[in-house]
Amino acid sequence: MFVAVPLNQPKGRVRMSMQTTKVIIRFFILCPVIFLPGYAASSDASKIIKAAMDQWRGITSHSTMSMTIHRPDWERTMTMEGWTEGEKKSLIRVLEPKKDAGNGTLLLDNKIWTFSPKVNRVIKIPSSLMNQSWMGSDFSNKDVARSADIIDQYVHTLIKTETNSEGFKVYEIESVTKEDAPVVWGKEILRIRDDYVMLEHTFYDQDMQAVKRMLTLKIGMMGGRMVALQQRMAKIETPDEYTEIQVLSAEFDIEIPQTVFTLSNLRNPRF
Amino acid sequence: MGITFHLAWRNLWRNRRRTWLTAGAIAFSTILLVAWVPLQFGAYDIMINASLNVFPGHAQIQRPGYQDKPKIRNSINNAEALAKQLRGSDQYQGVSVRAQGFALLSSGSRSYGAQVVGVEPEFEGNTSSIPGLIKQGRWLSSIDAQEIVIGSTLARNLKLEVGDEVTLLGGGKDGSVAAAIFPVVGIFKSGSNDLDRFFAEIPLRTFQNTFSMGASAHTITIVAKSVEEQPQLLDALNDAIKGRNDVVVVGWEQLVPGLKEGIQIDKVSGFIFLGILIAVVVFSILNTFLMSVLERIREFGLMLALGLKPRRIAGLMMLESTLLTLLGLTIGIFIGSLLVYWAHVEGFAYPGLEDLAEQYNLPGLSRIYPQLKLINFLIGPIFIFIATSIVAWIPILRIRKLEPVEAMRTI
Amino acid sequence: MDPNIAHPQAGTGGGDAYHMMIKTLPLLSALGWRNLWRRPKRTFVILFAITLGVWFMIVSAGMMIGIIEQQVRDMIFNLTGHAQVHHPDYRDDPAIEHSMLLPSKKLQAVLNSAEVKQWSSRVRLPAVVMSERESRGVMLVGIEPLREQGLSFIGEPVVAGRALQSIDDNGIVIGRRMAEKLETQIGKRIVVMAQDKHGEVADRGFRIVGLYQAELEATETGYIFTGLSTAQKLLGMSEISEISLITENRDEIDSLVARLSAAEPQLATQSWTELEPLMVTALEVYDNFMIIWYLIIFAAMAFGLINTMLMSVFERTREIGLFQALGMRPSFIVIQVMIETLMLLLIGITLGNLAGWFTIDVIFADGIDLTQFARGLDAFQMSSIMTFQLEARDIVTINIMVIALGLLASLYPAAKAARYIPIEAITRT
Repeated sequence: MFVAVPLNQPKGRVRMSMQTTKVIIRFFILCPVIFLPGYAASSDASKIIKAAMDQWRGITSHSTMSMTIHRPDWERTMTMEGWTEGEKKSLIRVLEPKKDAGNGTLLLDNKIWTFSPKVNRVIKIPSSLMNQSWMGSDFSNKDVARSADIIDQYVHTLIKTETNSEGFKVYEIESVTKEDAPVVWGKEILRIRDDYVMLEHTFYDQDMQAVKRMLTLKIGMMGGRMVALQQRMAKIETPDEYTEIQVLSAEFDIEIPQTVFTLSNLRNPRF
Repeated sequence: MGITFHLAWRNLWRNRRRTWLTAGAIAFSTILLVAWVPLQFGAYDIMINASLNVFPGHAQIQRPGYQDKPKIRNSINNAEALAKQLRGSDQYQGVSVRAQGFALLSSGSRSYGAQVVGVEPEFEGNTSSIPGLIKQGRWLSSIDAQEIVIGSTLARNLKLEVGDEVTLLGGGKDGSVAAAIFPVVGIFKSGSNDLDRFFAEIPLRTFQNTFSMGASAHTITIVAKSVEEQPQLLDALNDAIKGRNDVVVVGWEQLVPGLKEGIQIDKVSGFIFLGILIAVVVFSILNTFLMSVLERIREFGLMLALGLKPRRIAGLMMLESTLLTLLGLTIGIFIGSLLVYWAHVEGFAYPGLEDLAEQYNLPGLSRIYPQLKLINFLIGPIFIFIATSIVAWIPILRIRKLEPVEAMRTI
Repeated sequence: MDPNIAHPQAGTGGGDAYHMMIKTLPLLSALGWRNLWRRPKRTFVILFAITLGVWFMIVSAGMMIGIIEQQVRDMIFNLTGHAQVHHPDYRDDPAIEHSMLLPSKKLQAVLNSAEVKQWSSRVRLPAVVMSERESRGVMLVGIEPLREQGLSFIGEPVVAGRALQSIDDNGIVIGRRMAEKLETQIGKRIVVMAQDKHGEVADRGFRIVGLYQAELEATETGYIFTGLSTAQKLLGMSEISEISLITENRDEIDSLVARLSAAEPQLATQSWTELEPLMVTALEVYDNFMIIWYLIIFAAMAFGLINTMLMSVFERTREIGLFQALGMRPSFIVIQVMIETLMLLLIGITLGNLAGWFTIDVIFADGIDLTQFARGLDAFQMSSIMTFQLEARDIVTINIMVIALGLLASLYPAAKAARYIPIEAITRT
């Protein structure tokens, strides 16, 4: 009767920049197949996805990219530099805007540390805070938190194969989520070019209504590989609110010293 | 009429004991009912205040949609100017500007998510009890001080003491990284689990700088002099923001949704209790009236024998009971009002409440201040008047059936 | 009534009077009884008043206790129990690192003792639940479904779908309003994400198999439930977060808590009074309120009682005067009036208690449905049934109070009667 009632609960719908890290990391790791669901064996569709993933397995990269969050009344662009080795190790630093320059993030075996020059501290992000939607962008947290080593989350079916105007074969794959998979979607539909560049990735709710879509706007050679250079994620209902990623430069299969992926390098950049 | 009145008045004082007992019963009942309703509503005020005065306030001015989705970008541009304008009117007890965001608080080895609120140290105490709940250290010193106060559980979880530093990391309004280090100057304990575990407050200017808010803020929290005047408060606030379509007024019913629900449930049982009380007092009066009729059977018989028409006696009785009722009501309303007024000024110290209030810095909670509303005063007396008017018919009906001789034989 | 037993040391002056009084008690009682029925109409009126007063007291007590009991039971049923055992730091910071081992043999011995009606282990940790459109922070509770029966609301049947069935149950049960917030529904999948034992993200999909309903929205949006083993597997732990238990009598739990603490001194065992101090304060406030309430009803009743006794005394002025002239002590007259009052009170109380019992246990045995009072308030999503409940303690309080205060009130007419000067009394017409 006299118990004070709690206030506006912040839980669950707050925004934090740290949570962006995993998403960004994902971009750096697997540019062309960013939101590619894990693979399951023994079907044409699975083979395609497996092949796409194998292309990038264990690879090292060093790249810069920009991320633009667009709203009808607001827009913000950041540029970032990143190093990756496989899926378990990556380091990302913000280059621009100046205000945030030097903020860094280290991903090591699914653990995340962040460094902010403003406070000159390294902080480990508690995983309980990884749920947030971030910077008002259109990436769901589920995309973020999905561990790369989870397999068998989907049943993949090749539903269509067509040849596009540029002469590429395009596979349309339907990935239906398995029961225990940590994926909220009812299904996902991927359109993949035969050189394993993802063209389109649509997320459907459990009533099989499309909710959001990732579209590849530009494809090109970078660092000796064919990659999606520009991708845009938007909800189906609000196409004028989107987040766009652009790859500015990239090199692959390079030698990256192990000292890159350390806390001391996060704090005192040598790379 | 004059003679009847005179007779009735004399009759009343022929048996002082009976008159005073009946008038006393009416007066007592009146006092009860006069005091009860205001007290009941006063208790609701307490419940409401106990919840609202901790933090939410009676009403808030926000951007549309902020209540449902408190996004940091959904901020009010010249909140402080608007707050200043509101403070110019003396009808509000407190007006404070706040900015809020979610951030990670870290003490090095440990990190927890928390709601960080930027407040005006000077004004926050008028709308929230948190500044008075500092159990260690002190409250924020100035609007741009680089310091933080945090909830007691949060402090314990972060293993922080007053004087230690805490790192704050979050997302600014422009999407930039909000990061800062503040010394903990105070630790508050509100008794609310959520506040103590998830809350931290820093000065407004400091918040605006850290979270790249410019001069904007998220809410203007208003506490009126009394929560009873909620409709007037909302009207006044809506007037104050007239012409601005970037802000809306959100009342406490929406700010704290569970509260109204609880009070509604409580009101139902409260009214059942009130119903019982009315039934009890009405019956008590009925009882005294009935007794005095039984007592006076012989007298009525004598009157009848002397040739008085039953109608005349009935008229006399009616007048007598009306006079008696008015006497009782007057005394009751007088004493009852004095009591209520005294309680309104001094507060009614309900046993057990005071401890509760002290513990949670809710001075409003320690005593019940009955509501002063005419209707609350009148509900009781009206019921009593109706009841006695009905009851007064009982002796009249009896008189009609009386046989003078038989009646006189009764003692 | 044997006077010898009543006062064995009779003999001194005071004792003599006392002795005599005891001796005359049967006589006085018989006299009183007859006096009462000299004016049956009046007696019926006052009896009705007393009966009604006691009935009001009992019904309002039943209502108040019903309301309070409901609150206390809701609180206890809301995963609190009568006592809980935790890691000492868990209450401040319910994190996975503040888990505890499964109950040791020593602890189990106490938990399995006869006075513990039911106990159960739980995993109860913060998590994030996500649907396609929303995500929210919650407590993920892993339960032993069968052991929760009678222990907490989650052991009850759910409002939609099915309840959890075993500790390995892979389904999830969420609150009805939580489902609304998440824009999901029964049969759909949601994803739960939490921190596992190694500080990493653990997540998996769950199908919603059931929806539960609670009075408060905060409860419905605060907890999601799955099997204990399922939760442990997800979080990579073999430990538990808490043990909750209920006993036969929640008011006599201190010794049990002491024994639990003694069995596992490094764990924190707390009774519900320590877990919910605000509820205890609220209970005290209610108790005080009820005493005030009884006094109010009694005061209203007392006017009639005093009036009746005064009337009865006044009309007997002559005979009382006569008695006094014949040498009856004033104290006997006082006793006489009090005996009459006592008789009235006893009859009234008996009838009042019967009426109260009949009202509460027969007429409103199923409680009063308040939804009709609350119509139009969409806040009332559930039917609000007000149930009545009586406790021996309150009935005893009411009865003793009415008798004691009634006798006290009768002192005024009694004293009035005793103070008559005999001659004056006799000469009165």
